[in-house]
Amino acid sequence: MEFNDIVLMAIKLGLVLIPFMLVPLLILMERRGAAFIQDRPGPNRAAIPIFGLRLRGFGLVHNLTDGIKLFFKESFVPPFAYKPFYLIAPAIPVMTAVLTPSLIPWFAPISYAAANGVVTVAPSFFDANAGILALFALGSLSVYGVVLGSWASNSKFALLGGLRASAMMISYEVSMGLGALGLFLVVGSFSLTSIVEWQANHVWGIVVQPIGFLLFLVSMFAECNRNPFDVAEGESELVAGFHTEYSSVKFALFMMGEYCHIVVASALIATLFLGGYHLPWLDTVAIKTHLGGVLAGVLAVTALLFLAIAHLVHGRRKQYATLAASDRAARSKEYGFFRALFVLAGLACLGGAVASWLLVKPQALDLWHEGAKVYPLRWSLLTAALQIGIVLAKTLFFCWLFVWVRWTLPRMRYDQIMSLGWKVLLNIALVNLLVTAVIAKAVQS
Amino acid sequence: MLPELNAILGPIYFWLFAGLATLCGGALLLCRHPIQGAVALIGVMLSLSGLYALLHSPFLAVLQILVYAGAIMMLLVFVIMVLNQGLDDRIPRFDAYSLIGLALPVLLAALVLNTIGDSRSGIVEHAGTVRAGLETVAARMFDTAGGGWWLLFEFGGLILLAAIVAAVMLAKRSLDTVADDDQPHHEHAGHAERAAAVAAIPDAATVGRSTETFVKPPVAGTH
Repeated sequence: MEFNDIVLMAIKLGLVLIPFMLVPLLILMERRGAAFIQDRPGPNRAAIPIFGLRLRGFGLVHNLTDGIKLFFKESFVPPFAYKPFYLIAPAIPVMTAVLTPSLIPWFAPISYAAANGVVTVAPSFFDANAGILALFALGSLSVYGVVLGSWASNSKFALLGGLRASAMMISYEVSMGLGALGLFLVVGSFSLTSIVEWQANHVWGIVVQPIGFLLFLVSMFAECNRNPFDVAEGESELVAGFHTEYSSVKFALFMMGEYCHIVVASALIATLFLGGYHLPWLDTVAIKTHLGGVLAGVLAVTALLFLAIAHLVHGRRKQYATLAASDRAARSKEYGFFRALFVLAGLACLGGAVASWLLVKPQALDLWHEGAKVYPLRWSLLTAALQIGIVLAKTLFFCWLFVWVRWTLPRMRYDQIMSLGWKVLLNIALVNLLVTAVIAKAVQS
Repeated sequence: MLPELNAILGPIYFWLFAGLATLCGGALLLCRHPIQGAVALIGVMLSLSGLYALLHSPFLAVLQILVYAGAIMMLLVFVIMVLNQGLDDRIPRFDAYSLIGLALPVLLAALVLNTIGDSRSGIVEHAGTVRAGLETVAARMFDTAGGGWWLLFEFGGLILLAAIVAAVMLAKRSLDTVADDDQPHHEHAGHAERAAAVAAIPDAATVGRSTETFVKPPVAGTH
């Protein structure tokens, strides 16, 4: 096994953990997003005192305290629960959350020159032609976490929540599959990599299948048990639904599985309908030939973002200065620290942008592979990193959409959900599929 | 690098999945609660999917999970949860007739062992040929020159649809009203009333078991 193989394997293994790494960010996003939409301050109490500063980290410290609380809480198993399934159930959503990212292409296939010719590395572990089917299969397995957990809890609330959730997820899986089927019909492949390649060569899926996109999006909200479809929990009716009887780390696993599911769903929507790692006029070849310029552009945008955050922090600091709060001095000190941090980060990114504009000039090797020049491995890896960033940006946009919808729409009643799924979405999906098939056949012949 | 690794890991995975499938199959026969049996059956299906993947049939492996473990078993678990039946203690797991059933797997095992016989090393496929991949299955099914199977496949789908419609029709006592089985049944209900209550449970007809097992206590009890 060569060194390059080990490096690439490690990178791919790291990508599998992306949903886990995004969970703290998503929880922060949820809290700050809720606060933003409901016009309140949001999490702002927990702080880490360090060097005379009280660092609150915009609410990130609350995640830390949550973790500590959940780990040190008593892990209580109700005496009436059926233990084996009760203990297995929280692990099932997490297991599917670990397996599914290995199917998503986070970057274009990497080609590099090895001792025995050009080697191509697939962007995902399982890149068979049935890639998207495997994703759907794993998604359908994650329902068992809810079902077994609710049944094994042996409580009425949990059982009702589990029944609702399983019925809803089964119903919406139908329109989810049918919604995406139109796209597969147009592309002519189940492989996620070739779907992204098709979008790079033609147009994004959302342009070809706008109705399919909406169907898929709505069904994904139901699959993730998110508002307006979160009847599985329905705290005003069912206490906490299927995880009423769960506490401590087991509860945390359920929550983590849920947030991982959101990340995976967002990544899947981005891959299927928004071109995945592709940006318009910026396909893999273009990125590789103008790597310095692209890198400079990305870093410049990042610098702008950092400076914008610094500006926001600066404004908030001025706002605090007018308040009669007792900890005014500590707050302005903290915000001053963050302002300096973000300004420094922005300047560093600007410097990096200039440096990459001047210094990054990749030379292609004198090798051709599948109609494209082969570059040295380090430049290919840099391209892959840029593409991972593109996918992550799109994914985070949809994650924000999930949060946005949750704090905007009220929960739907259960019968409304069922009639929407079976009487509206399914019919639209079938008609959409029929029209797509006719048009695809007409265009083909 | 990969071929040697496959040669080492292949048999390990084979025995793992085969053992798991056998274990879960045994559990399915022995479990006293329907939901335990259902989970055991899911275990069998997942192990079978692993075996298909070992045989270079990724499409078949994925379909096994998607259709059987993901859809059919999900529906079965759902029905079990709706009925929420208790432990099945009335029917013994084994009796004299089980011996007849025991003879069949022994016969099958003898046949299989006789067939693979001395070519024991060939249990795990090493050939890089994809057997039931997406393309091979699609080419076989939509083979327009040689007839293909797509028409039969569509007919199969139609028959399933007709079966579902028929089940709904059987479950409903009349076309206008929904079969209402959620009316409280009285504790001292007579035989006729009990029988009517059993008949009103919609899944008795669809699942096709004897209605005997669906008699439940008046208040839906937990296990």
